[in-house]
Amino acid sequence: MSPLSSSLLNPRLSFSLKPLFLFSQSSFAPRKFQIPRQFVSAKRKTFSALASEQSSATDNGGRSGGGGRSGALSPSPVVEEVQRIDVNPPKGTRDFPPEDMRLRTWLFNHFREVSRLFGFEEVDYPVLESEVLFIRKAGEEIRDQLYCFEDRGNRRVALRPELTPSLARLVIQKGKSLSLPLKWFAIGQCWRYERMTRGRRREHYQWNMDILGLPEVTAEAELISSIVAFFKRIGITESDVGFKVSSRKVLQEVLRCYSVPENLFGKVCIIIDKIEKIPIDEIKRELNATGLSEEAIEELLQVLSIKSLTKLEEILGGAGEAVAELKELFSLAEKFGYSEWIQFDASVVRGLAYYTGIVFEGFDRQGKLRAICGGGRYDRLLSTFGGDDVPACGFGFGDAVIVELLKEKGLLPELNLEVDNIVCALDYDLQGVAAEVATKLREKGQSVDLVLESKPLKWVFKRAARTNVQRLVLVGNTEWQKGMVGVKILSSGEQYEIKLDELE
Amino acid sequence: MSPLSSSLLNPRLSFSLKPLFLFSQSSFAPRKFQIPRQFVSAKRKTFSALASEQSSATDNGGRSGGGGRSGALSPSPVVEEVQRIDVNPPKGTRDFPPEDMRLRTWLFNHFREVSRLFGFEEVDYPVLESEVLFIRKAGEEIRDQLYCFEDRGNRRVALRPELTPSLARLVIQKGKSLSLPLKWFAIGQCWRYERMTRGRRREHYQWNMDILGLPEVTAEAELISSIVAFFKRIGITESDVGFKVSSRKVLQEVLRCYSVPENLFGKVCIIIDKIEKIPIDEIKRELNATGLSEEAIEELLQVLSIKSLTKLEEILGGAGEAVAELKELFSLAEKFGYSEWIQFDASVVRGLAYYTGIVFEGFDRQGKLRAICGGGRYDRLLSTFGGDDVPACGFGFGDAVIVEVS
Repeated sequence: MSPLSSSLLNPRLSFSLKPLFLFSQSSFAPRKFQIPRQFVSAKRKTFSALASEQSSATDNGGRSGGGGRSGALSPSPVVEEVQRIDVNPPKGTRDFPPEDMRLRTWLFNHFREVSRLFGFEEVDYPVLESEVLFIRKAGEEIRDQLYCFEDRGNRRVALRPELTPSLARLVIQKGKSLSLPLKWFAIGQCWRYERMTRGRRREHYQWNMDILGLPEVTAEAELISSIVAFFKRIGITESDVGFKVSSRKVLQEVLRCYSVPENLFGKVCIIIDKIEKIPIDEIKRELNATGLSEEAIEELLQVLSIKSLTKLEEILGGAGEAVAELKELFSLAEKFGYSEWIQFDASVVRGLAYYTGIVFEGFDRQGKLRAICGGGRYDRLLSTFGGDDVPACGFGFGDAVIVELLKEKGLLPELNLEVDNIVCALDYDLQGVAAEVATKLREKGQSVDLVLESKPLKWVFKRAARTNVQRLVLVGNTEWQKGMVGVKILSSGEQYEIKLDELE
Repeated sequence: MSPLSSSLLNPRLSFSLKPLFLFSQSSFAPRKFQIPRQFVSAKRKTFSALASEQSSATDNGGRSGGGGRSGALSPSPVVEEVQRIDVNPPKGTRDFPPEDMRLRTWLFNHFREVSRLFGFEEVDYPVLESEVLFIRKAGEEIRDQLYCFEDRGNRRVALRPELTPSLARLVIQKGKSLSLPLKWFAIGQCWRYERMTRGRRREHYQWNMDILGLPEVTAEAELISSIVAFFKRIGITESDVGFKVSSRKVLQEVLRCYSVPENLFGKVCIIIDKIEKIPIDEIKRELNATGLSEEAIEELLQVLSIKSLTKLEEILGGAGEAVAELKELFSLAEKFGYSEWIQFDASVVRGLAYYTGIVFEGFDRQGKLRAICGGGRYDRLLSTFGGDDVPACGFGFGDAVIVEVS
């Protein structure tokens, strides 16, 4: 987040949207406005008379920023009211100036490349969706913090808090035209409306990978495999992070023993998910409020504390799906070569109501950060939207925690601006030649920062240093008369002349 | 746009957000719900008893979609109310299933690669901005169609209709830490709220390239050069498209002759920009309403019909900035090797209030499509936000029309 530059105003405009006229002492040069002259049916001035008026006034045709003004003509051809704006982006959102954008691009490139390597296709959906898509009555935090509003047509819409419902919607829409299994990924911005007291973000980007049409646990195994591949690509190992894995079916089996109705299941999971975040007595209270007996709650909490699959099997027995699927997953992890990365932990339920089977989350072993990513199986989502159910599993991976993790581990890449060439005409007349050189180099795939103004060589060198330019190509009269241009390699200091045709 | 799959519902929910229970005949398999059993303080069943119950019931653990259900256990571990949703994206917006995404990625890759080749750096800003950023009182269409709303904290915000004000905001924010000239580009989604009767989009992606800190016309020349490079990359030539170029200063000079106040300038431009879209009498009427005399209007319209820079020079004289800058641009186009691509056309003003100098738009020579791209110089935008002015020029290039061209 950029520091506040000076006194800022974040006006709350009334709906009638009156413009604000604000003048304040600040580092911004205060603007004086001419009261615009009343229009009088004037006799038409000649253009030449006008031209001489123009040249006698201070040059205000845009040649220099913020120059002084003389009297006769109004300073600005477009006299807009000055609205002192807040130079910061809206609360909880981010700007991406070049340096931040480079990091984001680097990260997203890895997301995309891993997805591509795993044979996934990219998709995207609108950031705005009907609110209906996100209304689930399980008490999820995602619902409380939904960034919803009424549009100008009085429809209830929301900036999406997650990508999965849009995926489900699109899959239902496409219906039988889709070939299963589907392997789709997306990178999209997601939003929440949270009180800003905690200084948290209101938006983040999330990488999602989903497999649809595969009921087998191999799908979950492949997804975890892809995240492992991603971590490895950026230098993170199994000693830095791990995955905690469990299954919603564990909870299901416990609750069924107590004949807890299925429709409470989602709610119970959401409460359980808050275990690390609110006091255990509060958890017990909320579970009680949904109708669970104290006996059920005790057993539930006990089961949730299990960290060993063997122990779980002792408690639940080997016949149920929960244990069977988990054993299958761990067996696949062994075969896929990432056993070291995953561990069973019955306390993992995740905070979305629609998971139906295996759930997992990535965590940092040092215990300092929030969950890096999370996902699981959700075989019943489509029917809640009126579609036919399709087995589905997927994960979401945000852009915030991973960056914190990289910082912690000293793995943040150094990404500087890198331009291949600066091309500069040393004489005004050679501007066209310089452009020709630039075009030639660009056609070969080289980036060129073309100097578009008359600047001293010293300035050009400074700019070259700042942009990590590989070489400077100088077009000067002396060389050009021989059909040549001057080249300077910045790393070595090497300098030479070369024919334009031979320039690589 | 995907076809509607079957009968759809686009419910308008009341603010209390009651869930909808909808059952309808459709191609979607109707779901039968078990009425969930009342919770009774049951004696605890053993897990093994449970397991045998499970295996005797129809497999509903997610192994196959939509299978039949037997009695004992409720069918679904997560019994959510069914909300029949509209499977289409919101009106005026698009989904990008794989095939459409591939096209978009192809397009954006070209945008990015051209920007990179020209030495521009990528930036991005929030799609949501304070509404204040877009409130200009010149009567622009962009303002009428602003996708604004009140957020949950009662702030007036908007989904941005364009990227330039955000750029200006960020540049002011960064202040002296920036090294001029700046060459920045962005590819961002922009929004408008338009009545859907015309079946138009409410969102599109726009590629922007901007040069800040360069008052010379070489900046505009370089920008047009980059769009030419883009067209060439995707196989479009000067026989397919061209650029019409003019300058806001042309209008300025005419209006000054009639002592039209500067603060009306933006409004006049916006009216002029509608010339191809509404009847000429309506244009005249609106110009009259801003205070222009009939004589001024006539002269204005005459000047706007000029298609030759030489003719313009005859009318305006050679001393003013309008003609000088335009001649400079055409000279640079010659040197930069793309003369065949550009032509003078005084009727081009563009629809944004803040342009101050050269303006241009890309058009398809077959005359079938709307403008492919457009841009110009806007040297006074930052001061309208309370910052110091910095010379600036840039263009916006949408993702819709170009796909129709190629």
